[in-house]
Order: sequence, then structure tokens, then C-alpha cells
Amino acid sequence: MEFIAQNFVPLMFGGLLLFLLTGFPVAFALAATGLFFGFLGMEAGLFPPVLFQALPLRIFGIMQNDTLLAIPFFTFMGIILEKSGMAEDLLETIGQVFGPVRGGLALAVIFVGALLAATTGVVAAAVISMGLISLPIMLRNGYNRTIATGVITASGTLAQAIPPSLVLIVMADQLGRSVGDMYAGALVPGLLLVACYALFIIFIAIVKPAWVPALPPEARIYKEANGSSGHRSLLVLLVIAAAAGFAWSQVHDGLIRGWTGRENAAPGDEVLILSMTIASFVALALAIVNHVLKLGLLSKLSERVTFVLIPPLVLIFLVLGTIFLGLATPTEGGAMGALGAFIMALARRKLEMRLLKEALENTTKLAIFVLFILIGSTVFSFTFNAADGHIFIEHLFSKMPGGAMGFLIVVNLLVFILGMFIDFFEIAFIVVPLLAPVAEKLLPALLPAGSDALIWFGVIIAINLQTSFLTPPFGFALFYLRSVAAKSDYNDRVTGQRIPAVTTAQIYKGAIAFIVLQVIMVAAVVIYPNLVLGSLDKPPVAGTQTIQLEATRVEEQAAPADGKEETAEEKAKREKEEEEEEDPAKALMRSMNKDKK
Amino acid sequence: MNAMLKMSQLIDGLNGRLGRGLMWLILAAVLISAGNAIVRKAFDMSSNALLEIQWYLFASVFMLGSGFAFLKNAHVRIDFISNHLSAKTRNLIDMVGIVVFLLPLCYMLITLSWPLFANAWNSGEMSQNAGGLIRWPMYGLIPLGFTLLALQGLSELIKRAAFLSGAGPDVISHIETESKDEIGHEIEEHAAHVQEEVR
Repeated sequence: MEFIAQNFVPLMFGGLLLFLLTGFPVAFALAATGLFFGFLGMEAGLFPPVLFQALPLRIFGIMQNDTLLAIPFFTFMGIILEKSGMAEDLLETIGQVFGPVRGGLALAVIFVGALLAATTGVVAAAVISMGLISLPIMLRNGYNRTIATGVITASGTLAQAIPPSLVLIVMADQLGRSVGDMYAGALVPGLLLVACYALFIIFIAIVKPAWVPALPPEARIYKEANGSSGHRSLLVLLVIAAAAGFAWSQVHDGLIRGWTGRENAAPGDEVLILSMTIASFVALALAIVNHVLKLGLLSKLSERVTFVLIPPLVLIFLVLGTIFLGLATPTEGGAMGALGAFIMALARRKLEMRLLKEALENTTKLAIFVLFILIGSTVFSFTFNAADGHIFIEHLFSKMPGGAMGFLIVVNLLVFILGMFIDFFEIAFIVVPLLAPVAEKLLPALLPAGSDALIWFGVIIAINLQTSFLTPPFGFALFYLRSVAAKSDYNDRVTGQRIPAVTTAQIYKGAIAFIVLQVIMVAAVVIYPNLVLGSLDKPPVAGTQTIQLEATRVEEQAAPADGKEETAEEKAKREKEEEEEEDPAKALMRSMNKDKK
Repeated sequence: MNAMLKMSQLIDGLNGRLGRGLMWLILAAVLISAGNAIVRKAFDMSSNALLEIQWYLFASVFMLGSGFAFLKNAHVRIDFISNHLSAKTRNLIDMVGIVVFLLPLCYMLITLSWPLFANAWNSGEMSQNAGGLIRWPMYGLIPLGFTLLALQGLSELIKRAAFLSGAGPDVISHIETESKDEIGHEIEEHAAHVQEEVR
């Protein structure tokens, strides 16, 4: 008993590890470890017998959590989008746009991957579509296989890093920050990562042109009557749209301020998203006018590009636009995105009853297992915290050389290695809450005063977790591509050429360069925290802005606005409730400890 | 053994049907949540009941659906070691886990949460928000959900025992291969569909 009492926390860790490795469901293993060691601790006299009294209230707290609602919403949206055929249209058309230049097909994959990533937060869909559509085209044209497979798996995982992603929602929940802030912080690093990928491909195109050949002229689908490709018309349209977007970005602040009555300047990401929306609507309007009136001013290519780009751009506005503008909470943004995807799939007649049921069932199963891991880890941390486990971890890290920077490096290595074996939900729910208190204490030392260290920390971990999809032996993106890439030699459908199978080794090798790029990105965010924090120099995204918005409306209409204000009140109340529900247990513990002394 | 298997089938039927019903609540939550956001902005109206019903629906899905997820073997496992164990060992591990850990866990949470529910039921506790909803159905989800999970645990226990005694199939690996086939099938269908479109 003495031994148990003295080594309680390490024993608990060991027990958890052992139990998890047996292959018993993670959620139950977590809860069972917490419970088992709770009782052990009671026997050893470490805890009062009423330790678990407050547990049901904790579970009730999880049930009440609005943020977690976003998980089923974004999952449902992702699955519906996958069925809607949007990714296929995009790949085909964008491939035609970039195809005629060296490295163009790979750039198209990156571009489409980023677009899909900004609409939803699910990885599987993107990798499978790209593996089915772009991979055969790349192989037909003699792309280097390592580059071809790598660019597909890596672009598919962008969904993890670019908002709205599930991992950022979970991170925000576990670190006690708003999802909106987490999204704002992750936007710039996410886009930089896309740029890194693109630069890498351009570099290859210059150094090793034979690895990334251009599409030959006969492979182009859209041709004008006079034989031109229609690229010039597309360029003109792009310039017009860009000019409209730029013009909007100049007047945005004045217009929106007049509309909402907001006093501070509009944040950069909001201007960016809205300007892009305006630009795309200008392009759409031109394309529609041209199409309906048969003006023939635009080439087929530019018309087609405009039409396929509109659905994802509208979805991005529905989700990210409304969240960044403060019109909707991230949960509502997710719901609107899901509804938008649902309507789009209906309109394209891609949504049969069978597919809808399948999508709902998969969403339900994912939501249940995720929420149960959270319940399990709540039971675990109940005992863990009662045993002062967080203090144990703090001591562990305070002994480490390098202080705060040493902590960050070790944590990143840990997450990277864990990511090879277990998936990001488990890491986010088990590891992150253990590290969060230490991060909160140590990290502000590395940042200018007043900046939010936990947002920075969350974004770093989120980008790091993206590698978990690419690292062998258990990289899901690699599995997804393996499942759709040719397993035996085949005759190409167009040229009739014999094309050798894609080997698993090629897929694994392909990921390496992109894993390196991601590690570089993690390092860049660690070294330049401003990449994350630069987007945050403003009031919290969904909170104050909405309330100000409501407040002006009250003045204007002299009518009570009972919507957002009450939800804010509700939140405050809930937080108070949560504090209270934590308190009895703590108070009890304290009094018990006093009694002992 | 036959009577036990019969019972297991009954439980599977119950949780299976329940799960297929619950999944529609997700769609309802999507529609209500999107509706709330739109109506609030467009007509400047909002209702606390409609805001609360969102999490009522989702909480119902995951609290009551846990047994369903267990039935479908959807609770993730860290299986890179257990994959190398024999089917017999894996089934044995599950049985020990269910008897020693899962069932006591359910029992504890049911007994701990019952007073909470009884309190809310007797006092008719309401949400503190104006126009909010009554609370006891949510408190009731905790004991009810863990009862359903315990029942499914029992059913899975019977199925594992049946396999070990040679009276039934290996459900864990069976479900895995089935779902893998499902995914494979889905991918093939998807591929055929895409190729058709490309043409």
C-alpha cells in the first residue's frame, strides 16, 4: 500500500498504457483505469470515499457543451460533400487549368486539396477522390510516382490544418479557448503550409522537369472553335474578379462599420474572406450573363471554372465567413455548412435515401465514439487530478533542460511519435489536457505579454497532428490512397499503354518529403509565434462582436434583442455552474485532508 | 447457451433499432441549428427552447447510442498490438474487460446518476434560461444510457463466450472484415461512378 501511495501517478499511467494496448475500446479503457485507480486510492487512504460523487455532473457538463455539437455537423457535412461529386468536378476542371504547365497537375491537386480543406474538416474524402481522378492522369503522363502519391496524400490531410477542422474544435474545447479564435490563429499557418507545398512542386518543376511533365495538347478537354485553350479569357476574368475583390477590401471597413455600428477596424481575415466572396460573385455574375445571353465573350474553360468554383466558395463563406464575421457561432457555422452541402447534393440529385442513411449512420458512430472517449478521459482525469497528477507532470517538465522551449520540443516529439500509432482524437483527448496546465504556465515566457499562449500551443499541436495521417505504419491518408491506387499493372484507358502498379513503398516514400515540409512548418510556427498571434489582435471572434452587433440593433429598433445576449448569459451561467459543480468535490477533498492531518 | 444467445439477439435488436432511429436526430439538430442562426439574423427572433433542444438532441444521440456503437464495434481500439494476437486471446481480453471493468463502470454511473435524475424529476427543475426546457429528461439519459451500454456489454459477453466455446462466430474480427468489405465495396462503387462521369 505504501508503494502504491507513493508511486500512484506513474502506476496510473502504466495501468492506462497497458490497458489501452490490450485493444479494449479506448473510451472504456480510460474510464475503467480512472475508476480502478480511484478505488485503489480509496483503499490506500489517498481519496475520500465520496470521490466519484460529482462524476455524473461532469458527464452532464459534456452533454451541455455546445462546442462539441460542431463535431457531428462538420462530419456530416464532409460525408455529404464526398457523395455530392464536388471534388470530382473541381479536380477535373482545375487540372485542365493548370495542366498545360510543368507541375500543373500536382499544383491542381494542392489547390483543390486546400479548397476542400477550407469547406470541411474530413480527410478521407479528399484523398480518395484525388487518388481516383488525378493519380491515373499523372501516371499516364509520366509523373514521378513518389511526387504523385505524396502530393495527393499530403493535400488530402490539409483538412486537418485549415479551418474549419475537427481537430481545432477539439483543441479549443480541451484548452478552454473559443473555436473562433482557434480558427483565426490557424488560418495563416494553414495557408502557409499550402504555399510550402506549392513552392516545393515549383522547385521540382525547375530542377527535375521530367518528374512533373505538362499535359500534352491532345489531353485538353476544353477547346475554343479557333483552337485556343481559352486561358487568356480566364486570365482576364480573374483580373476583373481580383480587381472587384481588391476594391471591396478597400471599402469593406467603412461599409461594414456603417452596417453593424462596430467601432474597431475589421480584422484582416474577415476582409480577406469577404473580398474573396465578392470577387467570386462578380465572376459568377459575368459567367451567367455570358452564358444566358450567349455573348461568347468568355471561353468554355473560364465559364466552367467559374461554375465549379462557386459551390465550394459559397460553402466557405457559409462556414468560415459567418464565423469570422461573428454572424454565427462555430457550431451554427457547421450546421449551415452541413445544410448547404445537403441542399447542394439534393440539387445535383446525388443524394439518395440510402446514401443519406449511410452518411447519418457514419456520423452517428463517429460522434458517439468521440464523445465517449471524452467521457472516458473525464473519468480518468477525475482520479488523476485528485492524485495531483497535474503537479506530477509539471515537476516532470520543470526538471527538463531548456525550460519552455525544451517543453515545446519534447511535446512536439511526443505528439509526432504518438501520431504514428494512435489517431488524433485520442491524442487530443488524453495527452492535450495533461499538458495544457503546464503549457499555460511555461509558454507565456516565450511570447510578448498579453498574448494567448494556449491558442499558439493548440495550433502547433494541430499542425503536428496532421503528420499523424502521413507517418507510417499507421497513416490513414496512406491507407486511403492505397485502397484506391492500382494494385496490379493495368492498361491505360486513353493511351492503351501498359502502366505498372503503384506499390505501397512508393506511397510511403511519397509522403516523406511532405512530412518534412510539415515539420518545417511546425518549427516555423514555434519560432515565429506571430504567424498565429498576428491574426488575434482583436476582440475574441464570436463573442464580443456579436454582442456589439446585437446592442446596436437594440438602439436602432428599441426592441429587446433576446437572442445572442441570452446565450452569452447562458454561457456565463453554465460556467458558474461548472465551477460550482467542481467545488463540492474539491471542498470535500480539502476537508478530508484537513481531517487526516 | 441457446437461451443466452437468444437474449443476446434481443439486446442487439433493441440497440440496433434504437441506433438507426437516433441517427435522424443528428439531421434534426443540423436543421434546427442552421434554422436558429438564420432566423436570429433575418428576423431578429430567437428562442431559448430552440437553442437548448440542439444539445438535448445531440446528448440523446451519444448517451443512448453508446450500446449501438458497441454493437457495431465502432468504439475505437488501439489495435496495432492486439491485431497480432490470436482470435481466442482477443475474445478473452474483451470478456475480461467487460466483466471486470465495463459492467462495474456502468453499475457505478447508474447508481451515482440516479439520485440526480430523481431529484430533477421530483422538483420539476427547469432550465435557468427564460423559456428553457425541463431538465429531468437529460438527467435521465445518464442512467438510461449506461443501462443500455451494460445490456450491450452483456450481449457482447455472450457472443464472445459463444465463440470461445465454439458455438458462434468471431464477432470482433467478423465485424472488422465486414466493415472493411463495406468500405472496399463503397470505394469500388465510387470509382465506377467517377469513371462513368469522367467519360
